[in-house]
Amino acid sequence: MNAPFFKFGLFGDEASLIVAFVIGIAFGFCLEQAGFGSAKKLTAQFYFRDMAVFRVMFTAIVTAMLGLFYLAAVGWVDLSLVYISPTYLWPQVVGGLLLGAGFVIGGYCPGTSVVAVATGKVDALVNIAGIVAGIFVIGEAWPSITGFAESSALGRLTLPEVFHLPPGLVVFLVVLMAIGGFWGAGVLERRFANRSPKENP
Amino acid sequence: MSLPRFDRLSGNQKLALLAVALGLGALVIGAPQRGTITINERELAAMVEGEVDHVTPDELADWIVAGRQDFRLVDLRSAADYAEYHIPQAERLAITALADSNLARNEKIVLYSAEGIHSAQAWFLLKAKKFPAVYILLGGLKQWTDQVVFPESPAESASPAERIAFARSAERARTFGGAPRAASASLAASAATAGLSAAPTALPKVAPPAAPTPAAAAAKVKKEGC
Repeated sequence: MNAPFFKFGLFGDEASLIVAFVIGIAFGFCLEQAGFGSAKKLTAQFYFRDMAVFRVMFTAIVTAMLGLFYLAAVGWVDLSLVYISPTYLWPQVVGGLLLGAGFVIGGYCPGTSVVAVATGKVDALVNIAGIVAGIFVIGEAWPSITGFAESSALGRLTLPEVFHLPPGLVVFLVVLMAIGGFWGAGVLERRFANRSPKENP
Repeated sequence: MSLPRFDRLSGNQKLALLAVALGLGALVIGAPQRGTITINERELAAMVEGEVDHVTPDELADWIVAGRQDFRLVDLRSAADYAEYHIPQAERLAITALADSNLARNEKIVLYSAEGIHSAQAWFLLKAKKFPAVYILLGGLKQWTDQVVFPESPAESASPAERIAFARSAERARTFGGAPRAASASLAASAATAGLSAAPTALPKVAPPAAPTPAAAAAKVKKEGC
């Protein structure tokens, strides 16, 4: 059996919702187990006191990347059928900055706020109310921002295409980048371990 | 400086070593997918036999009326024929341009030509290039015209169910700019009393009113990912 299973018709639209539910619960469970249901843990990231978020996310990237690369190499996954979000460079830069600012202010990103609500955190509930309000505002404002939101469209881009490098080389470089990042994260943690945000406003 | 022994490394360091080893392996492999494509003749033949690769004009018409945007409709006829009439939402693509087209392999593709020979040939080309979801409009534009744009009214002896089905397709024909026509066997006189045209009229103009506008179509595209 080849993957992606949905594209090869292993299950239909209805069953895909069940699959999505199971994957979603597993994802939430992993986030909670990594401690990401706590805004204190998440925001420690921005004071370089606890780089767990960075480590977990980068580990997930490396695991998924190596898994997909090898599964494709042995012919179990058809990468050309895997959905790639199209790139809209500047809108996505602005969107990323907005998300980052919200993350610092609120203490959660969208996924972790849902996880935190599941364990009864009220501040996360406020966060989700903000997300819903934001969706509403964007939906209403969409006609007036479509021009920007659809600008600098670069299509479905991948790093090997952008840099004209073999995919294997990009995989290797990302692994090196991750390991370098993990080492750097350790250095930062040791340097900022004993400083609380109150002492360094 | 001597390297630490492997069994002294922490679990995290071992995992990091594993990642580096796999990364080096990727470096050697280079590209995850090879360029050569093997065709499984039996598999293709089984698809042809099972007719799983067909979309009937009725199905396609219902998709278009429902505003579905999860498929690409490709017209393989000449530019002149396309300009004269094409099915709403269809984009023209010469069969020679298929290889370099922007069709993506994760899209559902419906092909049609005048009667179906070209679309069957294009189906094989795309299947050979491992496009998994390629479909042929059964009977080509001819059957589309006969069934959807100018559906034939049932004979006098038709059952109530057939009459209801016809009323539905007559309604649909109008949204595609067509009209129902009288059954070939029935008399022209009875056709006139029923308000049907005895012979097919000219094909409707290129853009029937039912076709969604491009802006509305773009908004309906289903988003994948998060």
